[in-house]
Amino acid sequence: MKKGLRSSIVLALILMLALFSLGGCGNSDVAGENNNENEVAEQTSDAYDQIVERGYIIMGLDDTFAPMGFRDEKNEIVGFDVDLAKEVFARLDLEVKFQPIDWTMKETELNSGNIDLIWNGYTITEERKQKVSFTKPYLKNRQIVITMADSDINTKADLAGKIVAIQNQSSAIDAVNTEPELVASFKGGEPVLFDTNNECFMDLEAGRSDAVVADEVLARYYIKLRGPENYKVLDEDFGEEDYGIGVRKTDVKLLEAVNNTLDEMREDGKYQEIYDKWFAE
Amino acid sequence: MIDYIWGLLQIDYIWGLLPALFSGLVGTLKIFFITLLLSLPLGILVAAGRVSKIKPLVSVLHLYIWIMRGTPLLLQIVFIFFGLPHVGITIERFLAILIAFVLNYAAYFAEIFRGGIESIDQGQYDAAKVLGFNSVQTFMRIILPQVVKIVFPSVANEIITLVKDTALVYIVGYGELLRAGRIATNRDASLVPLVVVAVFYLAITWILTKIFERIEKKFAYYQ
Repeated sequence: MKKGLRSSIVLALILMLALFSLGGCGNSDVAGENNNENEVAEQTSDAYDQIVERGYIIMGLDDTFAPMGFRDEKNEIVGFDVDLAKEVFARLDLEVKFQPIDWTMKETELNSGNIDLIWNGYTITEERKQKVSFTKPYLKNRQIVITMADSDINTKADLAGKIVAIQNQSSAIDAVNTEPELVASFKGGEPVLFDTNNECFMDLEAGRSDAVVADEVLARYYIKLRGPENYKVLDEDFGEEDYGIGVRKTDVKLLEAVNNTLDEMREDGKYQEIYDKWFAE
Repeated sequence: MIDYIWGLLQIDYIWGLLPALFSGLVGTLKIFFITLLLSLPLGILVAAGRVSKIKPLVSVLHLYIWIMRGTPLLLQIVFIFFGLPHVGITIERFLAILIAFVLNYAAYFAEIFRGGIESIDQGQYDAAKVLGFNSVQTFMRIILPQVVKIVFPSVANEIITLVKDTALVYIVGYGELLRAGRIATNRDASLVPLVVVAVFYLAITWILTKIFERIEKKFAYYQ
């Protein structure tokens, strides 16, 4: 009995060690120690030639993420980012394969080579720059505060003592956290986190949350669907930011190709055309 | 009036949702059936190993069951899909899901079966021996048929849990019923798609329950 217990404990420790060493790998530099021949080789060298050779690129997106990338009634992946990506890669003679991913796993998916790009309303932040390379910004965005129309909240300072809902793992959290005193004054001392912006809005409507902080692009989409007269957007915001496309740090050629093509599309008006299709009033 | 009620029920809207939800349903059923098909036999094998007298095998299986039941299935999917590439093993998305589900469910099934096997009276083994059965024959012909009857309600319970656990594959972005519902919910800013998804799950469970009732009736041949 005793002996069995002891060997179990040893086994458990070995197992934990194994798991930690796995985690260690994950934390180390992307260009790290993995010299595995085939799959992981993608992490250590520029994958662009490989991508060109196989003729398609895999774009990772959260297909629950309207209006940037989501599925329409026919189950087809559509959205502003999707149209933009299709045009960019058509010009580069590449087919785009859309791979749905979970948003919390996006950088892991990218750096393990399952996808070649993160392109889905992906905000450029300092923290993310540690993990991926960003293209030049392709869309401006603000972090806005939304309340119900009859709310007495009119400034950011009014959020003190209120319940504030934010989407988990979103750049809205980073934006709000740049003002720690304000966050500490929220009811509960921190925002309430939901999986999607939609859930934030439902909580706001149910009266449990007093305000939502969200990407303007996304928030406007929901407000439009649910009736603009029901909501109020504060004049103050939590700062402006940019959407970029994330690629592996090693994929310098890919980054350059996407950057150049986007510039080209801005010049010849194609960018504006796609922009108008999705965001024109 | 009728038009009003139809409008209230949002029939047209729901009708429009169905193609996407059905394709999600296919994803769910794929995981469900393949997992079931593989994990049940594997579970029986593991249970047989657990009650065997081969010590190293028993301890290995003990460890396996402990890990599978001791960590969330979600974590197991993450480790198999995102963790294994770090040690040079890269597995395709759907295969990774299946490996996680089969290993996890086999562990639960194994424990259910072990309980069943251990509830069989020693007299059954003695009688089989007297009749000249060897140990494999005894297990397959005498013990297992009785075990199956005993454990059936618990297995049925696990199977229904499996239907709903399939939703966990959202973590690797695999399209299934609940994800299809969430996509529509986010797109249309409406809860209706999730209500339809709930009806889908209920329908699956209802069909399974009916099948289980039939099987249980068949098993009742000694009563």
